[in-house]
Amino acid sequence: MSERKIKVLLSAYSLETHSRGIITVASILRDAGMEVVYIGNNRPEEIIESAIQEDADVIGITSMCGGALQLGRELMRIADEKGVKDRIKFVLGGIFPPEEETDLKNIGFELLFKPGATSEEIVEGIKSIVGDTS
Amino acid sequence: MDKKKTTKEILEEKIKEKGETPLYNQETIKKTKKNFEEWKNTNVSEKDRKTWEVVPQTMLGSGIPRKLLYTPLDAANLDYMEDIGFSGDEPFTRGCYPNMYRGRVFTMRQLSGAGSPENVNKRMKFLLESGSTGTNLALDLPTVQMFDSDEPEAIGQVGTVGVPVDCVQDMETIYDGIPIDEISSSIVTHYPRNTAIIFPMFLVMAEKRGYDWKKLPGSVQNDVTMECIVRRAPEYIPPADAFRVQCDNIEFIRNEVPRWNYITLNGYNLREYGTSSITEMAVAFANGISIIEEMQKRGYDPDWTAERIAFFWSVGNDFFEEVARLRAARRLWYKIMKYRFDSKQPRSQLERCHVQTSGISLQRVEPYNNVIRAAYHALAAILGGCQSLHVDAYTEAYSVPLEEDSLLSLRTQQIINVETGVTQVVDPMAGSFYIENLTDIMEEKILGEIEEIEKQGGYVKIIESGWIHNKISRFIQEERRKIDDGTIKVVGYNYFRQPDVKEPPIRCQEVSEEIRENQIKKLKKWRAERDNDKVESCLGGIVDACKSGENVTYKTLEAARAGATEGEMRRKFTEAFGLWRQPLVL
Repeated sequence: MSERKIKVLLSAYSLETHSRGIITVASILRDAGMEVVYIGNNRPEEIIESAIQEDADVIGITSMCGGALQLGRELMRIADEKGVKDRIKFVLGGIFPPEEETDLKNIGFELLFKPGATSEEIVEGIKSIVGDTS
Repeated sequence: MDKKKTTKEILEEKIKEKGETPLYNQETIKKTKKNFEEWKNTNVSEKDRKTWEVVPQTMLGSGIPRKLLYTPLDAANLDYMEDIGFSGDEPFTRGCYPNMYRGRVFTMRQLSGAGSPENVNKRMKFLLESGSTGTNLALDLPTVQMFDSDEPEAIGQVGTVGVPVDCVQDMETIYDGIPIDEISSSIVTHYPRNTAIIFPMFLVMAEKRGYDWKKLPGSVQNDVTMECIVRRAPEYIPPADAFRVQCDNIEFIRNEVPRWNYITLNGYNLREYGTSSITEMAVAFANGISIIEEMQKRGYDPDWTAERIAFFWSVGNDFFEEVARLRAARRLWYKIMKYRFDSKQPRSQLERCHVQTSGISLQRVEPYNNVIRAAYHALAAILGGCQSLHVDAYTEAYSVPLEEDSLLSLRTQQIINVETGVTQVVDPMAGSFYIENLTDIMEEKILGEIEEIEKQGGYVKIIESGWIHNKISRFIQEERRKIDDGTIKVVGYNYFRQPDVKEPPIRCQEVSEEIRENQIKKLKKWRAERDNDKVESCLGGIVDACKSGENVTYKTLEAARAGATEGEMRRKFTEAFGLWRQPLVL
């Protein structure tokens, strides 16, 4: 039986204009053998809905221009409401103020990746939170 | 039916005059070639001969191979007057103006930062008092995406990376006390639709303050590349409609605000998103060509249309390539205007450009290194002859620049200007065998990519088909792999990376929910005090114009005057044009 690939759903919030980061991360994850679904710009409820439909293990959010915490709270509230907050792992990449990092972790983002992150850190980080030790 | 000729075919057909002022005597070249071969075979090691040409591995580079040494053999066929000439004269390789920076130093145009309209007004005044010579307005994300501050999508993003502009009153606050007839205003509107919405708000503010529109200097971006290629968004209008709005804006501004640069063809964001330095220019030029053709259909002479087309480039790491490329762009645009569009007026043949130093080339790790990087970028831009310049802050990967970061960027420009002496001589790199050779190659490559675009049906077509989106995606992935495997070296990141990288204490911009709350309060009051029936009828006028083909910018102007907000106008464009799905490529 072949092992199921880690499935990562990538999205930006509605107004984000940048996508270089998320395209980069998508290619890193694919090269590492993960399955990647990129859904573009969406509201928090659309992101959770897609993740449920896709049966994703991980949701990766990109945020470059602010709002990571406020929209993150909304994302987590909806995930909780739909009963998937514990099953799905949440990862955030981009630029966000240092003083928000603790709050971002507390609300449920298990990994935060800033512009200096290396491909290895990203791949290993995601493997470790989904419990894949291969 | 005749096949439409490409720009390259037209130029090849028409430019045949070479030979009046050859730079090198061909006899001398022959002798030099003999000496060169002897030298290469005896003095150069076998290893160096084998790797005579190498490709510099730089971020966002062109991939053009470089020789170990350049000689007159690499510039053997240069014709002085045809290829290089004098500054301010055809073919403008040496600069747009005869005296260049001795006459007028590049405009030091730092972005005005972020925050509330009140904060940004303060920042603009601070930069002007510190020696800035133009203002540069960055809009926040909701404003860029044409959402009002009170729409739910805007939560957490009002005032974070720029200033919110919901309606005319915000323009009044931002430009309060700034003499907009003396200091040129750059408004980074990005998209055609956004330009049609935001720029009229600026004009209404100006008319309320009693300024004559005919005297206002400045620029907007107004570029389809930004709206349909670079940008990600929840909704798009079809590229052909965005292109039409772009041309409506040009027509409106050219007629009503004649000193204003009505389009800044933006290579910068495209390249920073992920293209080579060649694609950056090819796409911008292809859009420029399409614009001039569309305006011809509307009855306007190419010289009339091109007079105030401006360009915006990213200047990055490959120092000599950047200098050569800025020179090549001037010469190529001149040729396009002169030979493809039969331009008679020198002003319309000028490729005038604003440069911003490359942000994507700056690193989060060891951020002080970025001061050095940005200074080299700035020097290349100046040696290349840019008209105005923004130097990115070393904190690029942390936050929008705070006041002291903006000041350091401005100081970088001032140091190059008055302490290094480089601005005293026009086009000092000219005549270098290397630079002239590279200038030729860059020109040829850019023209080659324009040809590729035209063969696919032109600028709008490469967007509709997703060709350009795919090209970008491949470029980003390829570059990432090269950084991962160390082919492209980034000091401090993958080259001599410290085992324990500690981030220095860098102060980031504070995010305040208060800005959004205040904007919402102001909006509420604004909506309550305006004549809502009037606003509705003006908004209806936008839909009608979009559908009938009448110039829509006159209608957004009326709507702005009546007090319509940005989000209200955005929805009318979408209602009229419908939605387009941008190809989501990975």
